[in-house]
Amino acid sequence: MVFKISAFLESFLSAIKYAHVTIELTAISFVISLFLGLIIATIRHFKVKVLSQIFAAFITIYMGLPMMVAIVLYNLIFMTCYPDIALKLHINIPISEINPIFIGYFALIMGYTCILSESIRGAYRGVANVQFEAGYSIGMTKLQTLRRIILPQMVPILLPGMQNSLIGLLKASNLVSAISIIEIMNGALLPSVRYYSYLEGYVAAALVYWIIGATIEILAHYLEGRVGNYNKKSEYKTGRTEESIDRIKRSEEKLWQA
Amino acid sequence: MGSYFDFERFLFVFPKVISCIGVNLQIVAVSMFFGTILAVFVALARLKPIPVLREIISVYISFMRGTPLLVQMMIAYYGIPLLLSDVFLNVFGINLNRLDSVIFVEIAIVLNEGAFLGEIFRGAISAIPAVQKEAAYSIGMTGAQSFFRIVLPQSFKLIIPAYGIDLVGVFQNTSLVFTLGIVDLLGKAKTLGAATGHTLEGYISATIIYIALSLILKGFFLTVERKVYSYGV
Amino acid sequence: MIELKGVKKSFGKHEVLKDVSIKVEEGEVVVILGASGSGKTTFLRCINFLEKADEGTMQFGDKTIDFKTAKKNEILHVRRHSAFVFQNYGLFANKTALQNVMEGLTQVQKKSKAEAEKIAKETLDWVGLSDRYDYYPSQLSGGQQQRVGIARAIALKPEVILFDEPTSALDPELVGEVLDLIKKVAQMGITMLVVTHEMSFAQDVADKVIFMDAGVVVEEGKPDEIFVNPKEERTRQFLSRIISLEPMYNI
Repeated sequence: MVFKISAFLESFLSAIKYAHVTIELTAISFVISLFLGLIIATIRHFKVKVLSQIFAAFITIYMGLPMMVAIVLYNLIFMTCYPDIALKLHINIPISEINPIFIGYFALIMGYTCILSESIRGAYRGVANVQFEAGYSIGMTKLQTLRRIILPQMVPILLPGMQNSLIGLLKASNLVSAISIIEIMNGALLPSVRYYSYLEGYVAAALVYWIIGATIEILAHYLEGRVGNYNKKSEYKTGRTEESIDRIKRSEEKLWQA
Repeated sequence: MGSYFDFERFLFVFPKVISCIGVNLQIVAVSMFFGTILAVFVALARLKPIPVLREIISVYISFMRGTPLLVQMMIAYYGIPLLLSDVFLNVFGINLNRLDSVIFVEIAIVLNEGAFLGEIFRGAISAIPAVQKEAAYSIGMTGAQSFFRIVLPQSFKLIIPAYGIDLVGVFQNTSLVFTLGIVDLLGKAKTLGAATGHTLEGYISATIIYIALSLILKGFFLTVERKVYSYGV
Repeated sequence: MIELKGVKKSFGKHEVLKDVSIKVEEGEVVVILGASGSGKTTFLRCINFLEKADEGTMQFGDKTIDFKTAKKNEILHVRRHSAFVFQNYGLFANKTALQNVMEGLTQVQKKSKAEAEKIAKETLDWVGLSDRYDYYPSQLSGGQQQRVGIARAIALKPEVILFDEPTSALDPELVGEVLDLIKKVAQMGITMLVVTHEMSFAQDVADKVIFMDAGVVVEEGKPDEIFVNPKEERTRQFLSRIISLEPMYNI
């Protein structure tokens, strides 16, 4: 057995061909999770009665569920329930023709809504309380203060963590391969099945992931340089410590970066 | 879900699934042990300005952080025998192709953890204010004394929370190993499903076990954290 | 006792020290004054090798050390015969007040634990912290932390103590207790090199005052000469600025 370059190249091209599936999964899930996460974090930050407790309990429990288990579980539930539901609703599409990708979306969004809501909650705490008070003091409403004063200040706090979450989501999207969705990895393996060149296929998949991940890192780096200029000075003073602690905190997201 | 989920079946399946938890826990223990050792070296190598080594380590970390663990496991599973099988067969008389796939999974997680924990360690060590090292130097300590007596003990405190979260993450990541045919929690649930035609109860069992143990582990580390943070700093 | 000659130090393109030379006699208290950015702190840190000077030599006791080629054991020799008091106290955050003072005694001077503890307790008593042995730095006020810092320094019986702006991180009401303690140390006859902004302290305690600006020694002499009859224009400007500002501290 040797590493066959031709098989590797074929796998690489095939992975590239299916990269859009991974990118769409990642990007769409990220945007939706970010939106839902912001809502949940806001509810929890302002301690809205009942709702904030429900979310707190749900997130604590749900964070204990590995993404892989969630995906195979949701897939199984769908497979077992679909025939009956279809019958009741008079849907005539056979189950084999339904693309299970929506299960992937559902699992990824559920997981990352929890994660991102936690990051956003952290960012809320990172903005000094006096900023709210200052907003109110000039007669702004809560919503105005939030939109014009607080959220813009949260962006630079959030950016480094968001970059990690996005790469984490990119990698987590790989797990939908377990329910036979053809994304980068399964795409790279299509030629492998013919030639029994699995190693070549997996290395090709790794390379494509690595390229996308590096692109995200470069873009994020560029973005970080552009926002948050207003607190540059304080960063200069304590930058090293804060950055390191930040890095430690970011490892929290490892939970889901399967 | 009444007709799909049968509680009696669940009671029958649950003990069978949980009996496989040893496989997951063993992977966690082995991976964390060797991963931690590797990570210390990775962190030290990143902190010391050694030209070529530094570049190599940063490429290694970038790869480990930038590619999915499942892909890394598969590369270890197919790649290590390809690279080393001749050597092992001729020198040690071990046929790598016959080795338990758990070993390849563990190698992949150890390498992965070396990168992730390495960055955590490096972050914690460099978060200790420079004045701590200077104060140690000023009373005449050597570099090793100042690192092991002053800087490292202080960085442990910063490491504990992240380390706990990382360990829970490794436990959750063991849910990937069934794809290599290893009979762990999820693997058992799957084989039981294939044998009986009812998979849901097994998967629900695995779900409950994962959530419960994750919460217990998190609680444990939170207690340790509180204990450690109850004094000073 | 200590003589430094031709000390130069740059951070990148910025030349912080341009050929600084000073001499400190045994038992002398030397105060270095200067605006922030004048290089005085960097100079003090170079003496203890906390910064590596680019050029220059240091005569320390009977040893002569070239900064460019300073070896590990030479650096350790200087550090083991001197002590440093930090602006931000620099107490070991993972150790109690008592352990902070003991650390150097047991680890560097290899004294027995019992002996180290005895010395450490005596020293802490002497700085007025007999009731704070088992407190962690985070549980102490700034003034108390700095007193532990000074106790840690004198417990090692150094030949010289280097003070780097020991009161500038303190709240105004805590400055007095620390300055009084430093005066007490000065009266013991230990050689001291003090970087500070406290003019009246310099006037009271110093045997010699050195005024630095833009990386060079502008003027040095007895406190009376410097404060009453400064020869250099730059010294005069600095002093008039400080003195006109001084009342503001009393607000």
